[in-house]
This record gives sequence, C-alpha cells and structure tokens, in this order.
Amino acid sequence: MSDPRRYLVALAGTEDSALPQRIDRVLGTGDSAVEITLFHVVETGPRELAAYHPAVRRGHWPLPNKDVIEHRLEDADDEEAAALLAVWQERFEAALPGARIAGLVAQGRPEQEIIASAGRLNVDAVILSARPRTGPTEPGPRSVGHVARFVLDHSPVPVLLVRHSR
Amino acid sequence: MIANSQFTPAAPLAAAIFLATIGLVIARPWRLTEATAALLGASAMVLMGLVSPSGAASDVAGHWNVLLFFVGLTGAAAVAERSGLFDALAGTSARLSRGNPRRLLVAVVAAGALVAAVLSNDAAALVLTPVVYVLVARFGLSPLPYVLACTFVADAASIALPVSNPVNVIVSDRLGVSAAGLVPVMLPAAAASVVALLGCLLVIYRRELPARAPLVPPSTSWASWTGVPRRLLAASGVAVGAFAVASAANLPLGPTMAAVWLLLLGVEWTIRRFDRPLDGVGWSLLVFVAAMGILVDGLSSAGITAWLAQVVLGQVRDSPALVMVVTAFAAAVGANLVNNLPAAFVFADAVHSAGLSEASAHAAAIGTIIGADLGPNLTPVGSVATLLWFVLLRQRGLEVSTWSYIRVGLIVTPVTILAALGVALLLGLPR
Repeated sequence: MSDPRRYLVALAGTEDSALPQRIDRVLGTGDSAVEITLFHVVETGPRELAAYHPAVRRGHWPLPNKDVIEHRLEDADDEEAAALLAVWQERFEAALPGARIAGLVAQGRPEQEIIASAGRLNVDAVILSARPRTGPTEPGPRSVGHVARFVLDHSPVPVLLVRHSR
Repeated sequence: MIANSQFTPAAPLAAAIFLATIGLVIARPWRLTEATAALLGASAMVLMGLVSPSGAASDVAGHWNVLLFFVGLTGAAAVAERSGLFDALAGTSARLSRGNPRRLLVAVVAAGALVAAVLSNDAAALVLTPVVYVLVARFGLSPLPYVLACTFVADAASIALPVSNPVNVIVSDRLGVSAAGLVPVMLPAAAASVVALLGCLLVIYRRELPARAPLVPPSTSWASWTGVPRRLLAASGVAVGAFAVASAANLPLGPTMAAVWLLLLGVEWTIRRFDRPLDGVGWSLLVFVAAMGILVDGLSSAGITAWLAQVVLGQVRDSPALVMVVTAFAAAVGANLVNNLPAAFVFADAVHSAGLSEASAHAAAIGTIIGADLGPNLTPVGSVATLLWFVLLRQRGLEVSTWSYIRVGLIVTPVTILAALGVALLLGLPR
C-alpha cells in the first residue's frame, strides 16, 4: 500500500462551511488513505500591541499587572484556536469519513507559519482559501489576500487555492 | 505681551534641560520611569537656579487642584475596575453584536468612548483593551481592528469632559478657563470625532471584517451587570450626578473628584473589606505633573514659552477662530514630537503668556485640548517614542506589522481632529 496523501489545510476560521465538501470533490479523497492537518495560526501581533500598549509605555495611569494581562490574552487565544479547530474537525470528519483529521495550532504570522509547517510536515499540498475573511470572492485582480498570495509565492509544495462560492 | 518675548541669558540652559528631560522620557534608558525623568529635569532646573526653590514649591502648590483631581480620578477608576464594570460593559457589547463583526466594532467603540469620557482615556486604553482582546478572541476574530479601535477611541472621546483626559484639566486650569464651561462645546465635538473615527475604521477594515464571526459563544456566557455590586453602581450614579452639579456650580474639580473617590471607596468597603485602599492611585502621574509644572516654569521664566506663543499666535491672536485652529494643529504636532502631556503644558503656558483676550483664550483652550488629546494618534500612538518602541521590538526579533498600525493613525488622526474642530468652531466661538 502506498503512503497516505497528506494535506495541510490552513484555516482562518471564517471559511465557507462547505470547504470540506469542495476539497473532497477536487481531490477525490474517498478511495485512498488521506491525512489532513487542520492548521490555524494565532496572530501574535495584536496581542503584543495590547500588552505593550502605548498607554502602558506612556505610563501615566496605574499600570495593570502586565504578566496577568499577557496570560489572559494567551489563554484567550489558546481557547479560541481550540474551539475553532474543534468546529472544523467535526465538519471535515463529517464530509470526509475515510480521512484521518488532526488539528495543529501555531503562533506568529500566518503566511510564514504555513510555509514553515508545509516544509516541516512534508505534506503533498497546501490547501487554503483565497480571502477567507471576506466571504465570496470572484476571480479577478486582488481577489487573493496577502496570506494566500505569500503562500502561493513561497510554498515548496503544490497549493490548492479555494474560492468561496456565493 | 510682546515685550515679554525676549530670551533671558538662561534660555539655552533651560531649553537644554527641557529637551534632555523629554529625551529621557522618550528613550527611557536604564528603565527610568517617566516620573523619575521629569523629577530629574525639575531638580536640574532648581539646581541650576532657573527656578528658585520657593518658586518650585509654589509651582507644585499652584497645581493643587489638578493634583488632587488626579488622585481622585485614578482612585475612582481603580474602584470601577475592581468592581467588574469593564467585563460587564464588554459582555454587553458582545451581546449587542449578535455575532456580527461590524456591529461588534461599533459596540466596542461605543463602550470605549463611554469609558474614556467618564473614566479617562488611559483607563479605556489600559483596562478595556485586554478585556476587548479576550472578547474578540472568543468570537474567533482577528483582534487587530478592535485593539486599535480601543486605542483610538480612548483618545478620540477624551476631549469630552474634564475627567476624560489629564490634558483637559491642565490646559483649562492654566488658561483660567472653566473646565465645566467647555463641556457644552467639547461633548458634541467628542461625539463628532468618535463618529468620524468609527467611519474611518469601518472603511479601513471593510475587507478584513467577515460577514459573520466564526464562533458565536452563547450570550449567557458573557459577564453581565449582575456581577457588579448594586450598591457600587448606585454610588457611581450618585457620584456622576454630584460631579456634574459641582462642575456646573464652578466648584474646584480637585476636591470634588477626591470626594467622589472617597465615596466610592467607602461603598466598596461596605461590600468587600480590602487591605490597600490606595492601590491604583496614579502616583507616578502626580509626580510627573508636578515636575512638569516646574520644568515649564523654567522655560517660562527664560522667555521661551512667550517666544513660542509669538511664533505660533503672533499673526492670528485677535481672531478666536484662527487661534483655535492654529493651537489645535500646533498642539497636535507638539504632541507627536514630544509626549502629549509636556506638549499640553508648554502650549498652555505659551498661550497664557500671550495675554490673549478672553474670547481668544477660550478658543485657545479648546484648540489646545483638541490638538493635544487627538494629535498623539498620528504616529503609532503618542510620539516618536512609539517609533523607537517598534525599533526595539524589531531588534528583539518581534515582528509587529508597523504599517498596519501607522496607516490607521495617519488616516484617523487628521479626520478626527477636523471633525472635532468643525463642531468646536460652530459651537465654541462667541457670537
């Protein structure tokens, strides 16, 4: 038996819920072993903005305990990532009953983490949405967001770019 | 007084001490706090004989009203924070949004405006931002637009009331303008700048806010108002009312605010015995303000602020409308070059020394408050200091998308200033 095919599905969380069915239709995952890693990246930029907020730097006000705040923000991010992946894991398992689905969370900048993980996990292809945050996108100029564009430019493996249908 | 605008021989030294102090405040070497830096500068002014010891003492004593006000304000905000008010407010925003990211942004801006106006801008920025971050993360949304909204609305709404921003009291106190008397102009101006801010954010993030949040936690999972002690809510209502009456009666704001704080503290004591009632009072702000008063006195007696007044206001001093516009933009530029509080101090003193007519002084107070409150948002927030902050983050290998931050400020700041100025010009000029 040949090695299972392995895919990395990058999720911002706002993708069309029909994403698993569309992937299944394109890849025909029904007939052989497939491993799918659902990959969500927690962007740490905003958290750093909040923790090192300019008002913190300005320092006029009695400063709240920074460590406590940082922990609260991290916990919120972890909770969010876990909740998102749980939702999508269910959707993928329902749509692709034969496949092995796993979740993976990273922290940092999504485009770089996707590229790094694609290389590290040695997947056969990366799958992601063109512009997950804004819903349906017609093909045309600027219909691909900056994360997807970076992945298209830098991915060491084939990329499947999914568009949201109306 | 034009004759006054001669530099004394001490002017270069005074300027050097002031600039060195600002440099320390911005760069903060050796983890120096802002208050320590200002204190060092003030000591230098006294040691170099630019301000006499008795002059320094009377500078501090002359700010008694402002200083007492800040003790009361920071203390009262700490009580509010401990009471769970912020979580309840965030919970209400979450419920109102019903999982729609745009509505959530509107709700967050409204909550931030309320907190900034009633409890001061720093409270909104420092206390509300983490609460909002956690809230937005639970919706599975990218927190960036919301975190920035907190930052910007903290300043945009802070022109509203005397309590909203330390700058407001410092400026009106120095210019001898009734802080409460500015409210009929500043409240509508603040509303205009908040609405303008919201418009900017909705346009800037039109492509980044999804139509629906990926996760919608059940509405019962949010903190509710039942978590906030009833008695404390009632006392806050009484406090706000008392403060409004006292302001309208032109009682000094310092003792009023201190009384409000003591009232809230007393009510909190009946609910929960606490050990350290003085926790949360912004002592460093007090030291900073007191030291700034001495520093600016040094500049003033060296003739520098009078010179600045002549440069800025020389041509326009007789037209209140022009005075308002010019001071607003000059204070905004100053707030970005140095920190906004020093900028407000220097400007207030400059305008004071210009000996303007009553109408022009009134207009100058409005302009200075608008510029010094709203201006700091232009560069990432506050001043060149923030740019240095980004450099530091870079050196430590932390990549913050500087541009995603700066571009918002570059759009939001001029728009909010113009919106506030427009309203102030309509309502704030003598007719």
